[in-house]
Amino acid sequence: MLEGAEFYFNVDHGYLEGLVRGCKASLLTQQDYINLVQCETLEDVKIHLQTTDYGNFLANQTNPLTVSKIDTEMRKKLCREFEYFRNHSLEPLSTFFTYMTCSYMIDNVILLMNGALQKKSVKEILVKCHPLGRFTEMEAVNIAETPSDLFNAVLVETPLAPFFQDCMSENTLDELNIELLRNKLYKSYLEAFYKFCKNHGDVTAEIMCPILEFEADRRAFIITLNSFGTELSKDDRETLYPTCGKLYPEGLRLLAQAEDFDQMKRVADHYGVYKPLFEAVGDGSGGKTLEDVFYEREVQMNVLAFNRQFHYGVFYAYTKLKEQEMRNIVWIAECISQRHRTKINSYIPIL
Amino acid sequence: MANGDWTTWEEAGSRPQFLGPMAAPDLRAELDSLLLQLFQDLEELEAKRAALNARVEEGWLSLSKARYSMGAKSVGPLQYASLMEPQVCVCTSEAQDGLQRFWLVRASAQTPEEVGPREAALRRRKGLTRTPEPESFPALRDPLNWFGILVPHSLRQAQASFREGLQLAADMATLQIRIDWGRSQLRGLQEKLKQLEPESA
Repeated sequence: MLEGAEFYFNVDHGYLEGLVRGCKASLLTQQDYINLVQCETLEDVKIHLQTTDYGNFLANQTNPLTVSKIDTEMRKKLCREFEYFRNHSLEPLSTFFTYMTCSYMIDNVILLMNGALQKKSVKEILVKCHPLGRFTEMEAVNIAETPSDLFNAVLVETPLAPFFQDCMSENTLDELNIELLRNKLYKSYLEAFYKFCKNHGDVTAEIMCPILEFEADRRAFIITLNSFGTELSKDDRETLYPTCGKLYPEGLRLLAQAEDFDQMKRVADHYGVYKPLFEAVGDGSGGKTLEDVFYEREVQMNVLAFNRQFHYGVFYAYTKLKEQEMRNIVWIAECISQRHRTKINSYIPIL
Repeated sequence: MANGDWTTWEEAGSRPQFLGPMAAPDLRAELDSLLLQLFQDLEELEAKRAALNARVEEGWLSLSKARYSMGAKSVGPLQYASLMEPQVCVCTSEAQDGLQRFWLVRASAQTPEEVGPREAALRRRKGLTRTPEPESFPALRDPLNWFGILVPHSLRQAQASFREGLQLAADMATLQIRIDWGRSQLRGLQEKLKQLEPESA
């Protein structure tokens, strides 16, 4: 209680915390979602979004409006807000923001490498890269043929450099190796981010560490679930699990041996936090999937982050909530454009 | 029936023929059975069409679900090459009644003569490997792997829906040919009956 964040947080970061709380208040409400769900076409969606904080963000889009364009414009808007926060931040908040952008950078690197495999032009892929993960060396990613090449030639000057220790190898980058690279990079990144938050201490550690622990465990579960029936071996799978979560070390060892969903569920039953989540999963096509349940839990934790003051977690939570909102809008827009409205209410309400 | 004078089948059908006093009921019975077969085929075609629509809709919705989990730009035209080798080919063959049937053939079941150019194409696609392929029948890659190795279940469901849709499309094409043939047979028989009626009246 006497760590003192209340005393000096506002000196450096008070303005930004006030700003992010204002932004959080303009997230879409339940009424907005009800209006969106009743739209018949994407043009209606555009009109409804004009009444929200999004405003005229689609004004410059040529006809016909597609879901992909809506997604790109929403991302650009989030990026503008984020860049504003970042440009006005001081240390250590600036490092915190850099950590946040690393996950998008990893996604962009993988997108560029997959594009190189499919012989796509760099310009085509750069347009679709996530704006939050932009870095100057992006255009050179596609020339690398092995992870060591990638590190030495391209990424050594970027914030991603420290995450490459476990990924250095001379194997050529085919689909399996790119997938392994993606997951190993993300694992190193998550563990480094967790350490940063823990070392910072104070309210930030109290809020961010449980969120990052959940992210690590969730990744372990999803990697396991998606690896059933693929060529990924159990040992390889175990090297991809981030170790900064509650499952480390016994849970991860058990999870590496799991061969189907029921065995995974039995591992989760050992943990009080995850047992109710797995029980909420519906079976077959009717109920929620495991991913839906995890998204709901993430939204819950991020909304609760706003109940405490004087910590950096509000910025992380706002960005993640905004991403969930974008996923919701894209889902509703896809259901409308495909005229398949049975599952249109499967979005996750935030406020 | 002396058919030797006519030069074509159409000519043979268009000239009036003396078929004998018992021909009309036989012809009617044949007409009835043909009509029944035609209606059965039409019903099957409608059912297959509804099933194909349902599969394609399911497939697209599963793709949207995959985009929800993986990110909107991770399941799209960026992930596949503009030039690709088909995994499934359509072959036609003639059945005993002279009608064409459509088969779906998985591309791995190909003859040895086609290995040469196909190997080069695969080598070009792989691009990064420097050693030539030792085996003569390299396995074609699953399109699911364009999106990564650890793909969500919804993407697999989408692939299964589209695969079923493919099979249905081939069956529908075969049925469509049978129905067209049936209709032309029906018209021919009705003509013959009309010619017979004024004679027996």
